[in-house]
This record gives sequence, structure tokens and C-alpha cells, in this order.
Amino acid sequence: MLFSSVTFLYYFLPIFLLIYFVIPSKGKNLVLLLFSLFFYFYGEPKYIWILIFSCIFNFYMGKFLEKNFHTKKATYLFIFSLLVNFGLLFYFKYTNFAIRNINSILGLNIPILQIVLPIGISFFTFQTVGYIIDVYRGKVTCSHNILHFATYVTLFPQLVAGPIVRYQTVEEELRKRKTTYETFSKGVGRFVIGLSKKVLLANVLGECCNAFMGLSVPTILSTWLHAIAVTLQIYFDFSGYSDMAIGLGLMLGFHFLENFNYPLIASSITDFWRRWHISLSSWLKDYIYIPLGGSRVLRWKWIRNILIVWFCTGFWHGAEWNFILWGLYFALLLLFEKIFLKKFLQNHKVIAHIYTLFCILISFLIFNGEGLGNIGNEIIHLFDFKNLPFMNHETLYYMRSYGVLFMIAVIASTPILTNFVNRLQNKKWIIWVEPIYYMGLLLICTAFLIDASFNPFLYFRF
Amino acid sequence: MKEKVITFSFIFIIGGFFLLNVITPDKDVSWSERRTYQLFPEINWKQIQNKNAMNSFDQYALDQFVLRDTFRSLKAHVVFNLFHQLDNNQIFVKDGYIFKSEYPNNEESIKRFIEKIKKLKSQYLLHNKIYYSIIPDKNYYLKDSIYLNLNYDDLYQTVREGLSELEYIELRDVLSLEDYYHTDTHWRQERLDKVVTRLGQQMGFISSTNYSEKIYKSFYGVYYGQAALQLKPDDLVYLESDEFKNVIVDNYEKESVLYNIDKLGSMDSYDVFLSGSTPLVTIENPNQKNGKELIIFRDSYGSSLAPLLISSYSKIILIDLRYMNTKAMEKLVTFKEQDVLILYSTLLINNSISIKD
Repeated sequence: MLFSSVTFLYYFLPIFLLIYFVIPSKGKNLVLLLFSLFFYFYGEPKYIWILIFSCIFNFYMGKFLEKNFHTKKATYLFIFSLLVNFGLLFYFKYTNFAIRNINSILGLNIPILQIVLPIGISFFTFQTVGYIIDVYRGKVTCSHNILHFATYVTLFPQLVAGPIVRYQTVEEELRKRKTTYETFSKGVGRFVIGLSKKVLLANVLGECCNAFMGLSVPTILSTWLHAIAVTLQIYFDFSGYSDMAIGLGLMLGFHFLENFNYPLIASSITDFWRRWHISLSSWLKDYIYIPLGGSRVLRWKWIRNILIVWFCTGFWHGAEWNFILWGLYFALLLLFEKIFLKKFLQNHKVIAHIYTLFCILISFLIFNGEGLGNIGNEIIHLFDFKNLPFMNHETLYYMRSYGVLFMIAVIASTPILTNFVNRLQNKKWIIWVEPIYYMGLLLICTAFLIDASFNPFLYFRF
Repeated sequence: MKEKVITFSFIFIIGGFFLLNVITPDKDVSWSERRTYQLFPEINWKQIQNKNAMNSFDQYALDQFVLRDTFRSLKAHVVFNLFHQLDNNQIFVKDGYIFKSEYPNNEESIKRFIEKIKKLKSQYLLHNKIYYSIIPDKNYYLKDSIYLNLNYDDLYQTVREGLSELEYIELRDVLSLEDYYHTDTHWRQERLDKVVTRLGQQMGFISSTNYSEKIYKSFYGVYYGQAALQLKPDDLVYLESDEFKNVIVDNYEKESVLYNIDKLGSMDSYDVFLSGSTPLVTIENPNQKNGKELIIFRDSYGSSLAPLLISSYSKIILIDLRYMNTKAMEKLVTFKEQDVLILYSTLLINNSISIKD
């Protein structure tokens, strides 16, 4: 089920909230678990068993690991649980990729399997693996209540597209949490902002991308506008989803960590990755990069560590070469920055921003591209002054048609609006204006949803 | 205070619409969108397993949402007035007229159209005098050059080169934007006198019939619902004549009428002309004794034109190849030495896939 769907907003959510807030505190986790399972079942009925298995398996693995803490048995159990969790992920996500590549390299004809990627498997696998690692290391005490643990794994606000919530972040709130008017209304605001990012910006930017991609004669300007639109679309799509997840969490009394911090104002690629998909980059840092030795090792090992982490980042996003290329592209940029550019970028802020934005733009062309050849062509088209006209009537039409949207999107990708709204918080009239603003946005989003027929989230494919 | 207002207004909106959606009776069809709505889906284990039940419910929730048209209207206003987009779902309004963007030229479609007409000629129309004309859709007369439009010059030139052995009748110079409905794609019957005169000049007939106008107010054309904006409906005028009283209309082997007034106020009031889209219509005029017959291969534009030609012919046969293939046509129509008029709009030529073989 999509958050940005009428089914979720006007059927699932009101029924859930009614039951959730009517039921006494003791029963809230059970209600949350049942609704979360229904939420998943609605979108992926065939694979609900994987989610249930993951809950039960990792719950007992956590208990066994704690019971056998610091023993050889624990290590075997730990390795076994990693194999099972990653095994499922690899089977569903990467088997056909492996078959395709084996066929292509060895000239074989192994048939492609009829495997459908279960929604959200990348997210909940990383959550459960993180939990297992933390219990094995003794960083968290394992859960002794399967209801709490299953609620954590299946928690519908973040189940299918993150952010990757660590067990320790919500451990306390799984036992006891409080919803006040303040947290609920903050959650509503955050949810509506996220919904608006998705429905009003990302989806319309998606139309804009299609328009620029579908030009009968591409132009230099249209390829640049397409690249900008793709970047903004992916940002608003994913950060919109994270906002909705955080907002729903707040409505229920959970405090998830931030997943985005205005990544498009970053002044370097290093800075960008501190601001983009924070829950994934911190997961990879804590569970792969640091255990490999991080940066406190010999230089070649450090370079190896970075390449491994960014290969994983790319591969996590999808079983296609463009995602691997995307990850390694960032690895090279980060290495280049850390070795050569660090000081220069610190001293030349404007150039640093232009450089960062350009690198991000190219990265999302790689990310969004289909086939390495097409990606190469798209990047070449940006500078193909010899063969492409600078602009034509079609480009002008779409530029005019989407011009205001572009401006709104660019402003919304910076903290300007948030800072402006924060400054108004002391005004008396904000008591009425803020609710009107949120409810107005909710109704406008509803109007856009009703008018559209198909509206999938980009990050669902991960 | 603010927190309470936000909390309760949010609950009021999602809870209120939930209740309204549950208690409001479902609708079968949408008149504004001219389509059937998804009804509450059948739910069984098989439908759940293959996700059909969920997909159908999602569609049901969208289709049956209370105030659906109002929300669609809100969206259109946001698109035009807040985002300042030039079109909403390819629909835009200019000078009170609703247009639907048709772009770019579909060269394959144009070629396919030419080939189909050539095939038609070589198989069935060897002994007929054949005329053809292309009806410009109303975007042709759009004055604002920013909008994306067909390259009409190319389209006309390609068709004319492809059908050079047929006699072409130019209509672009006898029409103007005012000859089309504001809310619909079609031309207005009451403004086709210049078209009839031009056809008559080249096809050799003189039409001097006196008509009286019958007016149906509140014609909501095909674009009205798609635009989802509160615009003024059109007046639909159809022309009556004493001569029409004796006309015999056969609609695909069923007795019919020139103007089916039952269609006024239906989902598409333009269907008043010859009862709308139909594969084969024969109009016989006992008052005209010249024995001349005319076969018109046509799309929906032809429905409103044909009554204005009947005074010059004893019989007119209208064939719509979108609804009838040539094999069926062969059985139902006898080709002799009739005049033939091939009359299609630019919209159909650019989307000729709908013409059957």
C-alpha cells in the first residue's frame, strides 16, 4: 500500500487511528502489528511469510546470541543468521542478476527465474541484520518480547521504504510511548509535507522528466533540464517518503532519526552523503566500513574499504550495473575529494557548490538510466553542442509549463522555507494559518491523487 | 491550541471523508469523464493472491471518492493558477475554447492512413469518382504559438502527395475557430454552410435548402469533463428542414433518424447527429429524384455534415471504418459508380490505428 494513495489516506489510516487510540496502551503494539501486517499483505500478499519468518527467526536468533554471548556457538549462530537474512535478500534481489551475468560471460543459457522482489526486503533485512550484529556485539540487549520485536520489524510507517530504523532508536518506545497533541500535530505536519513533496513535486517532476525524455528532437537545454528534474524528482520522492514515515511515527509516539538534511545544498560529495539517506550511509559505515578498519588503516586498505562500502551502497539500491556504477562513481569522487580537493573546496564555497551539484546531477543520470549505453549518451548529450540544437519550440514549451514548478522545487530543496516558517512561530495568527496550510495541502494532494491513476514510489523497487 | 486545531482538523478530514465514502452510494458511470466507474470488487482468495482485489479496490477508492469532480477541478486550478502549467493532462483553455494537445505528427500513422485509402480505392472504388478532404481539428486555428501542435503543413502535404490521384477538396480556408464548439472537438453543424458550398463546387452539386435551427442548451462536450473547470456549456444547434421529413435513415440495418433527440442530454449530446458512432448508415431522400448516390468514408465529424448534403443526393451511405472492417463492408455495401467522399479529421489521420483493415 502506498502512503500517497486514497486507500491509505482515507480508508486504512482513519480505521487504524481510531482503533489504535481507542484501545488501551497494553494492546497498542498488537494493533500496530496487525495493521502493519495487513499493510504489507495488501501490497505483497504472496511474500507476507518472509516478513513473518524474519520476525520470528531474528527474535529467537537474538535470544540465542545473547544467551551464548562471547562463545564460539554465538559466532556460529551469528554467521548462520547473517547467511539466512542475506540469503533471502540475495535470492530475491540478486539471483536473476547473477544468472544474466553468468549467461553473458560464459555464454550459457540458464533460464531466468520467475522471482518477484518482495517490497521493502532491502530495508527490513538491513534492520534485522543490524539488530543481530548489535546483539552479537553486546551493544543492545535482545528483545524478550516477540510482540515488541515483531512490531519493530513490521512497523508500517517505515516498513517498505525506510528510513532504516535501528532497534536501539525505538527500543524504549516499543515498551512505552506517549502521544500528545504536540507529537501528533507535529507528525501530521511532517506527514503532510512529505505527502506534498511526493504528490505535488516528485510526481509532477516525473511528468516533466517524461516530457523532456520524449522530445522528438532533444536539445542541449532539454537534457540539462531533464537531469535537474530527475535529481529533484528522486530527492522529493525519497525524502517525501521519509518525511511521511517520520510523521506517522510521531503520530504514534515514535521518534525516528532524520534521513535527509537538505542534501542538495551540500558543499562536497562527502557533505552530500552526510545529508542524503543518512540511515543507510550510517548503517554501512557502522556495520561495514568501521569493522573493515575505516580510515585508520594503511592507505590501500582505506581505499579498498571505501570501494567496498560504495559498491555495497550501489548494489543495495538495485541489481543492475548502473547502480553498481553509481556507487563506485561516488567512491571515486570521495577518494578524489579526500586526497586532492578537500582544502580547495573548503576555501572556495561557490565553486564547491557548483562542483557538488554537477556531480550529483551526473550521479542521478547514472542512477535513473536504463542501460550503460543510454547513460553514456545522456551524459554526452549535455555537452553535445555539435550535434544537438541548443533549444527548440518543444523545449521552450515544457520550460514555460514547468518553470514555476522548478522554482518551487529548487526553493523547497533548500532550508529557506523551513527557516521562514520557523521565524513565524511566535506570531499569533500562526495558530490558524498553520493548520489551514497543512489541511489545504492535504486536500490539494488528495485532488492530485484522485486525478491521477498510477503513482508508484521510486524507492519501492529497492 | 494550534496543536489541537491541527490534530482535530486532520482527523476531521480523513475521518469525515472515510465516513462519506462509506455511506455515499456508488455510481456506475461518470458523465464528466465519459467512462464507467470501478465498482466494489469481488473479493475472494484467488483475487487476493493475485492482487486483483487490491488493485481493483484502489481504483474503486479513486473512482467512488465523494466530490471526485470537485477534487479534479481543484487539481486543474492548482495546475493552471499555482503552477502556471500550460496544460493539465494535455488539456488547456484559450479564449474560452478547450483544446486538447495533439503532438507531434505521427508519420507512421499518416502513412498507414494513406496506404489504407489506396487499398480501399484499388479494391472497391475502381469505378467511382473519388474526392477526399481533411478536416482540420480546432487546434489548427489556435492563435497562440507557444502550444505544441501538429505540423499541419507537413501532414496535409504528406497526405496530398500520397493520395495525388484523388481529387482533393481544401477546407482549411472556409473554417475558423468559431466554427467549432468551445467544449468539444467537433465542428458546429449550423456553421458548415461554407464547407457544404466548397464541397458542392468541386463535387458538382448546389445546396439551396432552407433550414430552421433547433437549439439544445447545455451541451457539455467531450473536453468539458476532461478539463474539470467550470466553463460555460455550448449551445448545440441542429438544422431541420421540411425535406428531412421524408428522409429514410437506416442505421446498420435498423430504422433510425437523422437527429436522435433522445441523445440530447445523454453522455454525449453530439450523438444527436445520426445517433452517434456507428459503422454503417444509409440515408435515402425520396424527394431527390436525380438518382445520385454518395458514399462517405468518415469519422464523427461526418455525422453532422451528412444531413446537409442529403438534399443533393438520392442516397448517402456513411461508412465508419473505425467500427467496420472491409470484409464486413463488402457484404453490406454494393459499390457501383457512386460519388465517393473520403472525409477524415487530422486527429484521426494522426491516430489511424483505429481504422480497421
